[in-house]
Amino acid sequence: MHATTLLLAYLVSTASAARFILHVPTTANLNPTTLPPTTHATLQFSGAPISVPISRSNTFTFTNVTAGSYLATIHSHTHFFEPLRIDVSSVPTSEGSTERKEVIKTWQTFLGNEWDNKGESRGEGGNGLVVDVRVLGAKEYYQERSGFNVLGFLKSPMILMAIVGMGLVFGMPYLMENMDEETKAEFEAMQKKSPMAQANPAQQLQNFDLASWMAGKTDQGPSKGASLAAQGQARKR
Amino acid sequence: MRLHAALALTACLSSGALAIFADDAGHIDYHLALVGLPKREDTFFQQPYAGSKASLLYTLSDKQVIGAVNPKDGAIVWRHSLSTSPNGTHGILRSGEDQDTIITAVGDRITAWSASDGRLAWETRFSGATVEDLEILEQEDGNTVGDVKDAVVLLNDATQGVKRLDGKTGRIKWTYQDTSGNTPFQVSTSPTHVYYISLHTSMLGASTVHVTSLSPVTGKKVDQYTLNTGNDISSRDQILFAGANSASPLLAWTDKAHSALKVNIIGTKGVSTFAAPSKETVERIILHAPNRVNSVPHFLVEYQTKTGHSAEVFHVNLVKSTISKAYSLPNLAGRGIFTTSTTDANVYFTRITSEEVSVVSSRSHGILGRWPIKSSWTLAGAYPVHGVSEVAVRSGSAHAVRSAALFSNGQWALVRNGELTWTRPEFLSGVVSAAWADLPEEETLAHELEVEGHQNVVAAYIHRVKRHIRDLEYFPAWLQALPVRILGNLVGNPSEPISGDIIEHDSFGFHKLVIVATDTGRLAALDAGSSGKIVWNIDLHQLSPGTTFEHPTLKTSRGYVELSDKGLVAPLLINVTTAGLLSAKEKAESVPVVRGQTLVFFDIVDGELKGFEGAQTNATPVWTFTPPTNERIVGWTARPLDDPVASIGKVLGDRRVLYKYLNPNLVLITTVSDSTRTASVYLLDSASGNLLHSTSHSGVDITRPIPSAISENWFSYSMTLDAAHNTASRGYELVVSELFESSIPDDRGPLGAAENSSAVGPNKGDALEPYVLSQTYHIPEEISHMTVSQTRQGITSRELLVTLPESNSIVGIPRYVIDPRRPIGRDPTAEEAAEGLTKYHPVIMFQPQWHINHKNEVFGVKDVITSPSLLESTSLVFAYGLDVFGTRLSPSFAFDMLGKGFNKVQMLLTVGALGVGVLFVAPLVRRKQINSLWTIP
Repeated sequence: MHATTLLLAYLVSTASAARFILHVPTTANLNPTTLPPTTHATLQFSGAPISVPISRSNTFTFTNVTAGSYLATIHSHTHFFEPLRIDVSSVPTSEGSTERKEVIKTWQTFLGNEWDNKGESRGEGGNGLVVDVRVLGAKEYYQERSGFNVLGFLKSPMILMAIVGMGLVFGMPYLMENMDEETKAEFEAMQKKSPMAQANPAQQLQNFDLASWMAGKTDQGPSKGASLAAQGQARKR
Repeated sequence: MRLHAALALTACLSSGALAIFADDAGHIDYHLALVGLPKREDTFFQQPYAGSKASLLYTLSDKQVIGAVNPKDGAIVWRHSLSTSPNGTHGILRSGEDQDTIITAVGDRITAWSASDGRLAWETRFSGATVEDLEILEQEDGNTVGDVKDAVVLLNDATQGVKRLDGKTGRIKWTYQDTSGNTPFQVSTSPTHVYYISLHTSMLGASTVHVTSLSPVTGKKVDQYTLNTGNDISSRDQILFAGANSASPLLAWTDKAHSALKVNIIGTKGVSTFAAPSKETVERIILHAPNRVNSVPHFLVEYQTKTGHSAEVFHVNLVKSTISKAYSLPNLAGRGIFTTSTTDANVYFTRITSEEVSVVSSRSHGILGRWPIKSSWTLAGAYPVHGVSEVAVRSGSAHAVRSAALFSNGQWALVRNGELTWTRPEFLSGVVSAAWADLPEEETLAHELEVEGHQNVVAAYIHRVKRHIRDLEYFPAWLQALPVRILGNLVGNPSEPISGDIIEHDSFGFHKLVIVATDTGRLAALDAGSSGKIVWNIDLHQLSPGTTFEHPTLKTSRGYVELSDKGLVAPLLINVTTAGLLSAKEKAESVPVVRGQTLVFFDIVDGELKGFEGAQTNATPVWTFTPPTNERIVGWTARPLDDPVASIGKVLGDRRVLYKYLNPNLVLITTVSDSTRTASVYLLDSASGNLLHSTSHSGVDITRPIPSAISENWFSYSMTLDAAHNTASRGYELVVSELFESSIPDDRGPLGAAENSSAVGPNKGDALEPYVLSQTYHIPEEISHMTVSQTRQGITSRELLVTLPESNSIVGIPRYVIDPRRPIGRDPTAEEAAEGLTKYHPVIMFQPQWHINHKNEVFGVKDVITSPSLLESTSLVFAYGLDVFGTRLSPSFAFDMLGKGFNKVQMLLTVGALGVGVLFVAPLVRRKQINSLWTIP
């Protein structure tokens, strides 16, 4: 880490000036001539970023870029673009030579990650390097207003449940009426037999007699309400 | 890695919940795309490309914004802000005939823009130099490629001299270096020469004019001479004109008293002297000459006096190199302007006054056309300052003329045949301060209610009855308007008022006034509810003559606005309805008297933040905040005075409560250290000056802004990482911190049991420090300003409004996204999910749906102010800077208002259908009931 810091500091101090071009290619989902004129690219390193507006040939030309490791962002009001890491360095043209040349390396970069975490290379070369930038998508600013839709309303599960419930409530009596006598009797017998009818816990709870319970009575049975009423009457007399 | 990228991408592409509806855009918001006050020399009509039928209006403004305006409707076709520094130097805008580019020069940059769409054609920089002048070489000299015309620039400072730039690429063709040490003034071109004009200032203060003629092909010096100007010229302002590209470039100057006009044809040594009209003292002389090479060498000299204006037209004899006066235009009272336009070789002068437009030919004084200007409310009381015109002449008479003129009230207007086609309120580009003011009617009602509240019951009742009887006066009008309103509500757009009567329909409190003060000393009121309509617009110099307004600041109180400025002894109190100064009686009535309260005021004094008792800053401070050594204060933000909080705690998923640290006196101070490149924030209690919390960040780019905002029990700030000193990560960060009374739920901290406590009391100190939770996010762009939305009761969740200068946007970040309690490194538990917390992700992508400006690009936003409306769901937002933008925000949806999606007709139809259904079913039900009673079971 420290080594890179030192290296970068050294690179910054050497006065080299690179020139490279970011190019917006024509793709299936973007015709770059439709980009607004305020579309511009910035190179951020330290201090005010270098900003270049989009040219007639859909490019951003950076000139006199000093050595450093830059974050390149393309700002457009209509589209998202992939951020890039652009490293500009100056190296000797050959071993032991005093002449220097600029080397520009570009990678995909990811926000919220370490700077050394580079993605795919997007091209490297000397002065005049042309890098194609990638568009990530169009910006959709608006929300569609959901109007009232009868079919959509009917499709919702709540409404479906309600319709089924209604059908049962209204349809059951007709079904019962249309049954022949034998089946009806059988059905009623079945209903009586079913545990629901015999010992409905909810019903039991509803009919729970607090007064008798308080009185310490442990009476059970279906007729307890009636007997209690009789008792009460007896007492009144 | 890939996963992160994919996550970020899905995050930015997934549709957010809080977006603007497409049909609301442009209705709930308003945007004035401004360029600034256009400059006299840098505004013109021009075809965007050779052979184009329509022309556009190009201008470079005082704000260094280049803009192309459609002359038909005044809409911006494209624009660029060129200023690199806030007090940018002067800029120049030029274009050649039949060219598809226009060229600007600002500072050290010369840029050619595609005239039709504003794309960059080429840019050339001369670092260290400033461009003094720029001209287009109109001549074809075999040195150019195709039809592209080259530019000639005059540079000052680092490399003084003249350069010819290729019109296609911007490369330098030749350079003429000037080493004489004279002050470069201008360049001018003629068909045969390029003239370089410089000023030589002698010891006595008088300047002489040096003219160097250069060969346009090689840039070599051909000739050089000094004009005999005597002692006339002592400052640059006295040179009236140094001929632009015309067949006969002229140099004209005047003496100090404006008594004589002296004209020289550049390239000759002769000076012609003409006396100015002597009836009245001439205050200003302006020379108007055509700048087309093929036009006839005629020019007009405009004389402005205190009460009127007149003009004289001169003809130049190119063969004899003499100048003669042709005719003069009569003196008219009041202010007026002249503009020059050319058609083929003919030159026409258009005279524009507040009353009429007239056109004359340069050949004779006969008026070719005359149109009275129809009076309009926007231009009432204003006079034209300067302008440009296009004249269409058919068979000897002008049949159409359109002029774009800047008026004295800051409106840029296009007058077509006397009719006002459009106006652009360009004075609003210089807004430096803005404040919300309630409508006067609401204010009076509030006042009356207050009166009733302070009286005894009987008196209050009588007062109330009286008030209702008085209100009856409006009843017939209200009744009359009712059918129209109901119809309009059903069919039309509910959020737009039908009639101009604002007050009656303002049941939602959207019609607030925004009072704005500009750097040019104007004060205006905009109606936030009617698309930012200008209610009134006044010149502050009329209210306070002789004052120069530098940076007026505004503060509104009931029914009036208080304007203070360095140049003012006492603040001006201005009525918000009438735009007049408050009378002494009104002053006494409306200025509230604060009783039984001691207010602590604070301000930065000598690099320290000091709190004072009372408003006097010369008293001894109650407390002083001195930043640590090497640190300097770069800004401070205080919690808004009116910041209602609905709940004192935050209910957790398990029904326990985290109590918010709510202190009305919170102040957030940001400091930077130049040597260590750290940024620190300090949270103070402004009543006692106690330090509540501080934190520090290293590796911060301290040259970039550190905006901050504070609201309720949380604050946020943003900064740029300095890549030169921080190699770990790159970009921009947003920090959000939330304050709680204690880290433990259901605990109110050390002061929980205390009934009363005071920050200035005896037991101050550590016990009062809040528990602070912070989270930091990476953001894709720099933030220049941030503020928080405000609602009436504070029940609606807040939104952090951040200004993004790079994408010319204002983004509202929902509060739940920047909740510092988002779990880190794990998925939220069921209880956390119930609170609405999502897993922490280090990046916040600004989703397009969060952009409150949607498709509008809002340039140069300096400040965003918010205000509650009468509806709890809605907050009003107003942004100013270069552009003016306003909108309504509903951070938790418009839950208390019917949206446009609610179909009133459908609702009525449904009710009607149900009614009909009941009519049919009722007899059936009745019969069934009767039957059921009569049948034996």
